[in-house]
Amino acid sequence: MSNRAIPNAFVKNVLQNGLGRYICQLQRVTLNFCKATPSSLGTRDFIEKYLVDFTRENPGTVVYVKPIRNRAPFLVAEYLNGRQERVSTKDMPADEVCKWLEHLRTRSGAQIVNLRKEWLTNTPSTQGVWHPFLNKNPSLAGTSFPAPELYGAKTESKSATDMVLEEAGVKKVGSVDSASSKE
Amino acid sequence: MAASLVRSTLGCQFARFLRPSLITAAGQTQSQRGVKRYMRAYLKELYNRRLRVGPEKLRHRSEFMNWNYNAEIYAFGKRLGEEFSNDSLQAAFTHRSYIEAEEARRADLGIDVASAPLGLTDNSELTQKGEETASRYIKAYLRSSYPTMFEEAIVAIHDHLMSDDTLSHIASHIGIGDLMLCSDFPPEESTLSKNFLAVVGALETDKGVKRAESLVRDLVLAQLVGKELMELWSVTNPMGLLMAVLDSQGRGPPEPRLQWQAGQRTIMAVYQVGIYSDKQLIGQSAGERVTIAEDMAAQDALQRMMGIGSGHMPLTFRTEADKMELRYDPKNISAEELMQTYELRQKENSVS
Repeated sequence: MSNRAIPNAFVKNVLQNGLGRYICQLQRVTLNFCKATPSSLGTRDFIEKYLVDFTRENPGTVVYVKPIRNRAPFLVAEYLNGRQERVSTKDMPADEVCKWLEHLRTRSGAQIVNLRKEWLTNTPSTQGVWHPFLNKNPSLAGTSFPAPELYGAKTESKSATDMVLEEAGVKKVGSVDSASSKE
Repeated sequence: MAASLVRSTLGCQFARFLRPSLITAAGQTQSQRGVKRYMRAYLKELYNRRLRVGPEKLRHRSEFMNWNYNAEIYAFGKRLGEEFSNDSLQAAFTHRSYIEAEEARRADLGIDVASAPLGLTDNSELTQKGEETASRYIKAYLRSSYPTMFEEAIVAIHDHLMSDDTLSHIASHIGIGDLMLCSDFPPEESTLSKNFLAVVGALETDKGVKRAESLVRDLVLAQLVGKELMELWSVTNPMGLLMAVLDSQGRGPPEPRLQWQAGQRTIMAVYQVGIYSDKQLIGQSAGERVTIAEDMAAQDALQRMMGIGSGHMPLTFRTEADKMELRYDPKNISAEELMQTYELRQKENSVS
């Protein structure tokens, strides 16, 4: 499968959450479990030991507990963006159920896809985007080209070559004057 | 192709019959004897039946078994981190259309509405209250955040934030959609946005204006972050406005100058125009033609004057915003008034 066919996205903050106040995106969670079968043992333990604490700490999440007969237990999380996530808790001990519930609680509810970048910024540069005219010397706008004085290496003092050439009375090779004299 | 469709619609418990081997929980491959070819026709029939029946009917969340309206209402207030009274929140979620539909239903059943009243109040009053508060606060917040912004721009940004589009987006993302008691389903945008304003009104009734304003700031004004504000306000004549502004400030008239150009007579031509006033650069922009570049440079100059470029301070939220001094009443400078005074002055000058 080519890379383009795999769904990918940028990091997204739903509703600028956390900028003003943080709103937990998990709006309700349903714990489905069987009252008798051993595969639900850990989920039943979780409900006995930790569920009340969870609801106290997260009053913004509605918790439903739903017994189902002779089925493997699972959690269904519903998010504010309208999506649902389902996690099977079959044969899991209570603390593992805790971990999965914590995972569901801290998610934004957006589908997990490949992230193109792990960060996002609204202002990639406060200075503005670079362009070829940026910080260009304004005097260049009025210069007529070709302008040989702009091309050579900029040295503060005369180089040895310059001095020798001056002594010999020869013009520098490659300068515009010499090129035009050849023609 | 068909097999993959069958698999995706029916889940993997059926699909294993189509494959000669399956992967166990331990990650090992376990071989199965043969391909159950008879399953294919059966699954295909199930798949076609599903197609014939069509998609699942859209049902309201309250039609499902796991639904407790009181718990949902309680959680809604807690989710926003606010203490609502149960009555006001209940009223905020009840629409006139719901009460009318309910009364009609009772009348159909032969129940006398006068002797057994519903005891529900609709949210029209709260909506109005919330709308006034939100509208007033948004303008005041923008005026204090951007003291040099033109009043027209503030009104344009305010209108964008108070539009059904923005408010319904916010409402549906804080879970109002499921809780609303209204006759339209799926809910319309206008119903959602009115309900959000009713929640603001309910909070004001319960906890005072300050809390309601902070809710508006955190949910509505936060939507401005990352938005190009100049796109929300369209200036028809940026150069004319710039002339009027500079004149009112006693500065020299704007002087557009071509700074750079490249690729003339090609489709990639670019011109950069800078606008100067009293030999000071006040705005610059590039464009594909000189006129476009000049127009955009004037917009850039206005943007810099209003303090909304990318290099300016971001909007403030949380405790910083609580400390902010709000300007409810004195409006900012109006662009239209500036233009009018400028035109009058020009006429006077030409007469004298």
